[in-house]
Amino acid sequence: MKKILTSIIMAGSLLLGSGVAHADKSGGTLSFLVQPEPPTLASYVSTSGPIGLVMPKVYEGLFDYNNDGSMVPILAESYEASADGKTVTFNLRKGVKWHDGKPFTSADVQFSVMEVLKKVHPRGPNSFREVTSIDTPDEHTAIFNLKKPAPYMMRSFSAYESPMVPKHLLEGQDIKAAPLANKPVGTGPFKFVEWKKGQYIRLDKNKDYWQKGLPHLDRIVGRFIPDASTRTAAMENGEVLYAAYNAIPNIDAVRLKERNDIDVTTEGYSMINPMALIEFNTKEGPFVDPAIRRAISVAIDRRFMIDTIFFGYGKPATSALSSNFKATNLHAEMPNYPEKGDKAAANAILDKAGYKRDGDGVRLKAVLDIIPYGEDWRRAGEYLKQALGDIGIQLDLRYEDVPTWLKRVYHRYDFQMNVNYFYQLPDPVLGVHRHYGTDQIRKGTHFVNSSRYSNPKLDALLDAGAGEPDAAKRTAAYKEIQQILADDMPVVNLFELEFLVVYNTKLKGAYDSAMGAYGSFREAYIDN
Amino acid sequence: MGNFWTRYKRNHAAVFGLFVIALIIVMAITASFLYPEDPFRLVGKPLSEPLTNGFLLGSDSLGRDVASGIVHGAKTSLLIGFVATLVSVFIGIFFGAFAGYFGGLIDDILMRVTEIFQTIPSFIFAILLVAILKPSMSSIVIAIAVVSWPGVARLVRGEFLAVKNREFVQACHTLGMSDLRIMLWEILPNCLSPIIVVGSLMVATAILIESGLAFLGLGDPNVMSWGFLIGAGRTMLRSAWWVCTFPGVAILITVLAINLIGEGLNDALNPRLKERQ
Repeated sequence: MKKILTSIIMAGSLLLGSGVAHADKSGGTLSFLVQPEPPTLASYVSTSGPIGLVMPKVYEGLFDYNNDGSMVPILAESYEASADGKTVTFNLRKGVKWHDGKPFTSADVQFSVMEVLKKVHPRGPNSFREVTSIDTPDEHTAIFNLKKPAPYMMRSFSAYESPMVPKHLLEGQDIKAAPLANKPVGTGPFKFVEWKKGQYIRLDKNKDYWQKGLPHLDRIVGRFIPDASTRTAAMENGEVLYAAYNAIPNIDAVRLKERNDIDVTTEGYSMINPMALIEFNTKEGPFVDPAIRRAISVAIDRRFMIDTIFFGYGKPATSALSSNFKATNLHAEMPNYPEKGDKAAANAILDKAGYKRDGDGVRLKAVLDIIPYGEDWRRAGEYLKQALGDIGIQLDLRYEDVPTWLKRVYHRYDFQMNVNYFYQLPDPVLGVHRHYGTDQIRKGTHFVNSSRYSNPKLDALLDAGAGEPDAAKRTAAYKEIQQILADDMPVVNLFELEFLVVYNTKLKGAYDSAMGAYGSFREAYIDN
Repeated sequence: MGNFWTRYKRNHAAVFGLFVIALIIVMAITASFLYPEDPFRLVGKPLSEPLTNGFLLGSDSLGRDVASGIVHGAKTSLLIGFVATLVSVFIGIFFGAFAGYFGGLIDDILMRVTEIFQTIPSFIFAILLVAILKPSMSSIVIAIAVVSWPGVARLVRGEFLAVKNREFVQACHTLGMSDLRIMLWEILPNCLSPIIVVGSLMVATAILIESGLAFLGLGDPNVMSWGFLIGAGRTMLRSAWWVCTFPGVAILITVLAINLIGEGLNDALNPRLKERQ
């Protein structure tokens, strides 16, 4: 009896102790910048950046990833792969509930992967390309059956990359048009409360979150502030505590860093691996001929763009793959990506290809669309107009709002060239194949092969690269891929972006996830 | 005419305004001689301070010459200011003249339409129009004209109401003149002075609206303008003050000068008004 009593007291003090520890962290509202306003909240349909800032707080993935690359169990507690790599069994967490109270089960995983991510997600068909079926022997086990081993798949289970969505709210509906899009119901640490268009999105603490004691914050408010200097002012006076993906212009970040209460980091983007680039319409219009696209790549002074527009944050592209893939021996430097640009060589390519200059020195005219994600991209467009004007390509610039631009480029293919950036993600299979594969010409799906480039030889190499278990052979396959792309240039890579997170130092616990701002913030707290 | 000028020059500020505008017009016309290069060209070291690296007024974040931008932007601002004003004065005269001259049902209908336009905040309406029509020189002119004509229409209607029952108009009726001829040749010339004064002030407003639109990123992205320069420089106001400041001063001086001219025109065209004061 005495023993029992002691243990009760001990348990009590433990509870009390942990209660006190949490009392320090719990509570408070985190306001952070979401720039620009997201077009929808359907993170299972679009990977558009601002959606990624908000939705991983509401929907969860099977795993999260730490900065050191290790996997953190979220909706899955563990997984085992069979010896031949063709079956992967996930043991799902028990006691997880959707925000509407229904239990989360293996049927939701099966539905999310097979019916949603594999069908309507921009990158899902690539991440889960080898998955033929998912067995659900019981409510907490999901067995993925694969055609071939796909080790890269294990890097794509984050909430941002592969959100798990409620089967009971999507089944039997047109998934792209389902009302869940803007009334999201997830399992995550925060519940969606309201979206006041033009002002903010409010998420409140999920009191029934499966991990007791989390999240710490009572509320997260994602604010939309269209004007860059107003955003900086909001950061300075503590109105917002966190700003990622260059919501604070680099020029201001450099200045704010000097303050004691504000800091800047380039961490939190290692799974993202962003690349600035130009997509071309290779099917119609002025850029059907690869020689012109090659000349454009050769003419651009990448160093100038990085130094003047992004204040030195960035690395010039040297091939279709980011230099971050050097770690896995996939990156190879290619010709046609001169760091400082070579206009004479570009002119020579165009002369040789037979594009004559008219009386005004113009060889051809085109319209350049610009990604509407802020002032920096406008400057990039203005630079490109000047640089390409020098080699006789006269550009008109076009800026539109996000939905109009997405429709133009990815739904109607009504564009000629488009400045954009893509995430190359932790493996080329996840982030790079979608630009170039014939199977990635998917009308109406965002951030895939809008160039409509189709090359059977390249397709075969991409397949080989994805399924090749031997490292040396994989390196060889990607080298050949990069050679083909350096010649054909359906997409001209400009530079690897280095994004910044600008944050108020009283916000803590939001920086451990490799997903950075696309993380759940479940351990974030405000240290007063 | 000599009489007009005598009265105008009595207002020294107005003469100064005229001088300034003449300078700006000369600057706009000779823009291509002063700075033959495209103002969007990257001609030197980015963010050079004024009077360094060969830049009179400094360079912006990409190394574009601010002075060249101001000179070429003058062309855009003045062109949009004058064209938009002409269009809106034309619309305003049309609505106001018919409403005032015919009265009755026509007056009711036209004035209710005018009031609908007057109830919408003009700058927000202009933003909406440009966003719908896609930013370009012509859509900006249309937007400014559409939001500015109601004032002219009400003014013209008032003038027509005051004049239409005068004896000389009745005489014209007796002579069998057509309504259109009476409106255009008899009444309108008697209303011109207030229209000219209001129109001159509208040029200033139009320039401000255009700058505001360009500042918000709704200008024609392929045309240099003062608002664009300010919009592009505003993110670095604290570290490179000159990028916004000089185009801002240009707008200030131009609008001030046009207002002074408007004041002078008012004095010269309505001399009795002045003497009564």
